[in-house]
Amino acid sequence: MTQIAIPAIDFGVVAPLAVLVAAGLLIMLVDLLSRRASRPMLYGIGIAGCVVSFATLAPQFGHPATTFNGAFATDRFSWAFDAIILIALAASLLLSLVRDADDGASPAAYSSLLVFCAAGGMIMAAATNLIVIFLGIEQLSLALYILAGTGLGRPASQEAALKYVLLGSLASGFLIYGSALLYGASGSVALADIAHAAASPSPLFATGFMLFIVGVAFKLALAPFHVWTPDVYEGSPIAVTAFMAVAVKAATFSVLARFVYVVFGHEYSAALAPLWAIAILSMIVGNVGAIAQTNLKRLLAYSSIAQAGYIVLALAGVTGAGLATMIFYLAAYAFMNLGAFAVIALVGDGAESAADIESYRGMFWRRPWVAACMTVFMFSLAGIPATAGFVGKVFLLGQAIWAGGWGVAMAVVLVLGTLISFYVYFKVVWAMFAPIDDAAPSPQGNSFVPWIAVVAGVAGVIVMGILPQIVYSLVAI
Amino acid sequence: MRLIDVFPFVPLVFGLATLLVPRGSGWVRLLPLVGSLVTLLIGVDLAVSYFAYGGSPQTWSIHPWISVPWTAAYSVRVDGISIWFVLLTAFVAVPALWAAWTYPDEARLRSFMFLLLAFETTLLGLFTAADLLVFYVYWDLMLIPVFLLLAGYTGTAEARRAAWAYLIYNGAGGLVLLLGVVGLVVATHTFELVGPKIVVLPALQWWLFGAFAIAFLVKTPAFPFHAWMPPTYTQSPPPLIAMISGVQSKAGLYGFIVFALPLFPDAARAWAPLMLVIALVSILYGAFAALAQTDMKTLVAYSSLSHLGLVLLALFAFDVTSLPASVLMIVSHGLISAALFIMLGFIEERVGTRDIFAFGGLAAKAPRLQSLMLIAAMAALGLPGLSGFAGEFLILVGAWQTQPVITAISLLAIVIASVYVLRLYQAAIHGGYRAPAGASVVELRPREMLVVAPLLAAIIFLGVWPAVVSSNIRMPMTPTSYQSSSMQVPG
Repeated sequence: MTQIAIPAIDFGVVAPLAVLVAAGLLIMLVDLLSRRASRPMLYGIGIAGCVVSFATLAPQFGHPATTFNGAFATDRFSWAFDAIILIALAASLLLSLVRDADDGASPAAYSSLLVFCAAGGMIMAAATNLIVIFLGIEQLSLALYILAGTGLGRPASQEAALKYVLLGSLASGFLIYGSALLYGASGSVALADIAHAAASPSPLFATGFMLFIVGVAFKLALAPFHVWTPDVYEGSPIAVTAFMAVAVKAATFSVLARFVYVVFGHEYSAALAPLWAIAILSMIVGNVGAIAQTNLKRLLAYSSIAQAGYIVLALAGVTGAGLATMIFYLAAYAFMNLGAFAVIALVGDGAESAADIESYRGMFWRRPWVAACMTVFMFSLAGIPATAGFVGKVFLLGQAIWAGGWGVAMAVVLVLGTLISFYVYFKVVWAMFAPIDDAAPSPQGNSFVPWIAVVAGVAGVIVMGILPQIVYSLVAI
Repeated sequence: MRLIDVFPFVPLVFGLATLLVPRGSGWVRLLPLVGSLVTLLIGVDLAVSYFAYGGSPQTWSIHPWISVPWTAAYSVRVDGISIWFVLLTAFVAVPALWAAWTYPDEARLRSFMFLLLAFETTLLGLFTAADLLVFYVYWDLMLIPVFLLLAGYTGTAEARRAAWAYLIYNGAGGLVLLLGVVGLVVATHTFELVGPKIVVLPALQWWLFGAFAIAFLVKTPAFPFHAWMPPTYTQSPPPLIAMISGVQSKAGLYGFIVFALPLFPDAARAWAPLMLVIALVSILYGAFAALAQTDMKTLVAYSSLSHLGLVLLALFAFDVTSLPASVLMIVSHGLISAALFIMLGFIEERVGTRDIFAFGGLAAKAPRLQSLMLIAAMAALGLPGLSGFAGEFLILVGAWQTQPVITAISLLAIVIASVYVLRLYQAAIHGGYRAPAGASVVELRPREMLVVAPLLAAIIFLGVWPAVVSSNIRMPMTPTSYQSSSMQVPG
């Protein structure tokens, strides 16, 4: 008779996650018990949860630990991803305070789902076995499917949710099937054991690995698994889109990176070639697709496809410096995207229609500060120097060229994609700069809250662009 | 923190201050001019310290910047090469910002001035950078003020197309350079590449030189990378084009002198035949194309292509005379083209067209304009006694030693230069007066004369006494390392 052994749980290790889950539950509880639970109060609980979670996360820096029999590992790697996810969560809660005119969703449901979603991301960042990975991805995804549809008054939001859930479930299917095959090939769900099977890959392993990559690529919006992205980004409420673009991408990259590094053991493997091909395709598809976009949310969706492709370059050499580069670029990506979405929220002031580039025409002459901040984000996305995006790209190119072979090819495509993206981002800047007849200042939005995210974004982009050492030395693993 | 550390940012600070001035205040015009004068004064001060004390702490400063994964430093300096580019920038910026006073849209004058000053900052930063990463940062940042000034301040569809052409061509060049820069740093692990001699494997050199060369040729521009040039030169407002043709077009040549040639001597020798062909085609194509133009700004644009091709010839002839003469020619061409484009701006403002056959005989109405135009035109065709002559002559004498055939063919362009410059001058200034209806041709105003006076004075001064520049040039490389057949690396 076998006994079920409950593994010892180190609550200190899971504290940041536990705090976040508790905050989510508290939001629901408060909403249930208090009649006067206002939107700012509920969101405030979420933001407070972020702060407390970060306070418990901070001491973990430099103290790697595992729990749940090694299935859940906190190290510098997961620490950095957790920090990015918490920043994204706090920013999107802030942006959510600008009420979407068509948003009829319950504030409690909305904010608690957002918090649970972030908790899923944190699980992914720390997951070291296939089951925990799947658990994290599903917690994140299921909450996100609902969130995408919370613009209850807009059919586009419903459409986004439906597309996301259908295609997302398909991707989850690939992921779980791939995981099953990997388990079959290696006899274990722990990544460390799968690494043994990777040393002499069987057809079973190769198939499992490919299916796993497909599932992950879907979540990352890497081409050719990106088709859902523009519609979902455009349809979802702006705060959800911001969270989707940053936190989901960060969490999923943490899974991809841990998988590649643990399974392929810090050395270059030919088995990774499909991943490089996907990256090259994404850089092209994302940047070319962005050319024709007239809606900023769609433009940023294509941009995120290309940026995800760039980030894969960090893995090219499978080196420690590569991990640091990936985290650096993701942090840069977080600041510039959250900032750009915050500007959209600021300009729209609750109206989703304001994401048209046309409504930014002459912005420099109407609201110079808004335009200046947006320009910083656009330049960072384009990789113009003195911004975080530029330094990130230099690091990525360095990793890729150092790796040689596929790496050099990816570096060339990155440069080509960047050139195309110049047109995309400068088009936005140019629209804001265009002369307009009526240069009277347009009415200011009544919400200052997005300014917090905008200013934080600008500060992050500039500081990382001019003094990259501060962040890089923090994430160097 | 030394003066040299903050020197490139002086114009930017004045530009930011200009943005804060209330609209319509006189300071909107005065402050940028004062800023450019202050910058020039500091530049002269740096020159004096350099030539008095050599490479001293006053002219060289290094602050560690990045340590992992590669090292980079905020490293700035002026030396026997860069000081001439710095002085040229600071000198040309003064008339450019003064000419900007007449920008018609009062509401947007502040940002116009700001962008011009920001452009000056990127140029000064570029020429003082001793670290490759710092150099690249300014190289790329240069795109932004030029793009915005082109796209946003004339409002015509042609100007917008020119802005996109400028951005895509120069952006592409910059990104190719980025590949080269990162490729180099992966090999050397440091961006601090001026000063210590770094030996790069010849096989790698070949690729890196190619990447650097493409970027530098696009920026100059040289054939076949010049497609962005005619629209940009034609559509830019006069202050901007004075800065672009006067200074920015020298950035690529500066890159060759300071980075590509000293860092990759073996590759430079291997690439030299192709570069010489590019130089020759640029020289001839520019000259013949200038001959065919009726738009006066496009004409001068193509003449720039021809003249800068000559500088390229000087660099890749690897001759002891032609190498330093290239810097003399660069300085001289900067002064001449800035003066020409500012005066063409005056003419266009008066007659309302750039077509040289649509008007003529301006001498009858504006004798002072005629006199000043005469000096600039004669300098452009290389009349002895003006600055254009000394540089061209020394380049031809030097290049003849190592590349007699190419130099001989290039001489043809010198002849054609006389034809197209005189054609422009004759059509616009001489003959019976005629101008399109509605044009009000008035004599040059005193302020306008003062704007171009310093440029013309410098052209005459350098024509009479070129040794001021030519004997104070310290090239970072000697021709011997390129001429010898051994695979020796300098240093």
